[in-house]
Amino acid sequence: MMTKLAAVALAALATAPIAAEAQTASPGAKSATLAAVKARGHLECGVHTGIPGWSFPNDKGEWSGLDVDLCRSVAAAIFGDAGKVKYTPTTVQQRWSVLSSGQVDLLSRISTLTFKRDTELGFNFVQINYFEGQTFIVRKAANIKEAKDLDGAAICVAAGSTEERNATDWFRERNLKINIVKFEKNDDAIAAYDSERCDTYTAGTGALAGQRRKLKNPADHVILAGTISRDPQGPVTREGDDGWDNIIRWVFNGTLIAELHGVTSANVDKMRAESRNAEVRMLLGADGNAGQILGLPKEWMFNAIKQVGNYGEQFERSVGMGSDLKLERGFNQLWTKGGLMFSPVLD
Amino acid sequence: MSSIDVMRPGRLLHDGRVRGWLAQAGIALGVVGLVWFFVDNAGENLARSGVATGFDFMGARSGVDIDFKLIQYGPDSSYGRLLLVGIANTLFVSFFGILLATVLGFAVGIGRLSGNWLLAGFSTIYVEAVRNVPLLLFVLLWYYLVIRGLPAPRQSIDLAGMGFVNNRGIFLPSPTDPSPFQAVIVALAVGVAATWLLRRWARSRQDATGQPFPTVLAGVGLVAGLPLAAALVAATMTAWNWPALSRFGVRGGTTVIPEFLALLAALGTYTAAFIAEIVRGGILSVTRGQREAAAALGLNRRQILRLVVLPQAMRVIIPPLTSQYVNLIKNSSYAAVIAYPEIVSVFVGSALNNTGRAVEIIAITLAIYLAINVSVSLLMNWYDARTRMVGR
Repeated sequence: MMTKLAAVALAALATAPIAAEAQTASPGAKSATLAAVKARGHLECGVHTGIPGWSFPNDKGEWSGLDVDLCRSVAAAIFGDAGKVKYTPTTVQQRWSVLSSGQVDLLSRISTLTFKRDTELGFNFVQINYFEGQTFIVRKAANIKEAKDLDGAAICVAAGSTEERNATDWFRERNLKINIVKFEKNDDAIAAYDSERCDTYTAGTGALAGQRRKLKNPADHVILAGTISRDPQGPVTREGDDGWDNIIRWVFNGTLIAELHGVTSANVDKMRAESRNAEVRMLLGADGNAGQILGLPKEWMFNAIKQVGNYGEQFERSVGMGSDLKLERGFNQLWTKGGLMFSPVLD
Repeated sequence: MSSIDVMRPGRLLHDGRVRGWLAQAGIALGVVGLVWFFVDNAGENLARSGVATGFDFMGARSGVDIDFKLIQYGPDSSYGRLLLVGIANTLFVSFFGILLATVLGFAVGIGRLSGNWLLAGFSTIYVEAVRNVPLLLFVLLWYYLVIRGLPAPRQSIDLAGMGFVNNRGIFLPSPTDPSPFQAVIVALAVGVAATWLLRRWARSRQDATGQPFPTVLAGVGLVAGLPLAAALVAATMTAWNWPALSRFGVRGGTTVIPEFLALLAALGTYTAAFIAEIVRGGILSVTRGQREAAAALGLNRRQILRLVVLPQAMRVIIPPLTSQYVNLIKNSSYAAVIAYPEIVSVFVGSALNNTGRAVEIIAITLAIYLAINVSVSLLMNWYDARTRMVGR
């Protein structure tokens, strides 16, 4: 028994350098995270503990939402199966340690890109998949029209969120006084707001639209127009694995490129067979070796689009007009239609 | 291999003292090695993942605000100052929690042994109901009881013109200049000293004449009365900042936030149930003969409890009571779920998230809890040693 084990170990040691050499032939395979994900057989994705439209589990435990769709797209690109994802719900406070400890491969949970997070915390924000700003939800009866009217109000927030600091700074700058009441989780904070402990709860416009649905009487509340900050949000990875960052970045870019060229989950087969657009042909694996360069199958984006859809489809289904949230595309429209979504060129 | 060479170390190993030393040294080495391994491993991993490390962040501007603070603090203050706010708030709620838990726990513990069927029954129900509920649920229950039980700001309860109560807290006038109130601390010291002297005098008089003196009552009067009188005098010497109703809640004055009330209630009543059982056990440990002997001397029920039973019961009560106090202090970290700004909420919550210095911040927080709790244990052990009966 021992000798057998020893032989196997020796064989593994002897072949290890060869295997490593073979891997460098395909640049994408440099990613240690990708290797670990492939070996494990599924993607570990860190998501929010639950906001309708972004990442929310249904009663069967199936997750859906815009942030979840990004996880699903990456899984489809790696395994050809969007279902090969395990979700780890994370709170505002847990998210960074869950990511840096290696418990998840990717964090996709409405996290705002900030300087410190990008530099000192040791993370990479590989792409922005949602542009928004921070605003407030108030009771209709309180008759508040804009953020300035909140002078003297109690504000429920999650401790350590960007919302906490944004609100503190914004009201101080205008010499208005607020009482910050901070909770461990967004859910605790919004529950306290619903119990009238606070006059308002603050979050990004998109998250607020989702959180509003958790209130006892959503119709009694209004979300203030206008924002007090800019909140670019997107998937986050650990620093130090450029190959993995490339995969996440280009899978997301791929969903934008697909939308730009009108590739949808419905027509993706036809497009692969018939499209004469060079970028579409490369995206869907009809030409070139984009997938291989990333260390993925040839059909990486073909599978992602077919199973999860392009960015526009994901947006409409999760948070847009086809969803309960009914958010406008706004900033998140393609640049060709006046928005900020602009993908680099797949060439 | 000769047998003598084997015998020597073998015989040494049979020596209990040598074996004890070896075991101690082995464990010490193991602990040091383990700590070194963790520190080294963490340092290496942090360096590799590009995470900033070090304690330099403690001096940086925090940018976060705290709505309940006992010391001067604002968003421009440093993270070090934020930590102090958290420590002060932890000590504040723990102190009153321990006070409440002790008073309530002793009352319920003694109540459970009462001959009064109703009182004993209520005490039993209280202990069993509270002890078997997870503290987290208990904290949330109290929180929602408090904030839903109190009226909204528009329907604030007026405290006879002195302040307001609503679901944002209790609002009281605050002195614009708090310095006259330093006299209260002096008065408290005078009261304690006077009580001590009074007790000595009463003892010597009782020894000489047999006349008892109500020392406890007089002591309470001195310890509470003198500071109260000083506070009243100080109150007339300073101008007041009166709370006033505004669009949202109340402006001005000082606020006791509902999170404090809820946490205090939860920690106090929860820990009291455990203390009650400890007190009951302590009292039951005093043999029946002691009571009978005391009764034979002509002491009444209350005197028996206070002079004979409780002093002996305290021997049994104090060690587990210490762990309940330590538990209460640690449990004050449940505050994070209900927004009471103590160490975990402000430091592990806001500071850790904003700086990302997880290892440093968790280490500091652990060290602080350790320091507080070791101090409490030492204080209780000192008290235990002082009051322990000489001989038996």
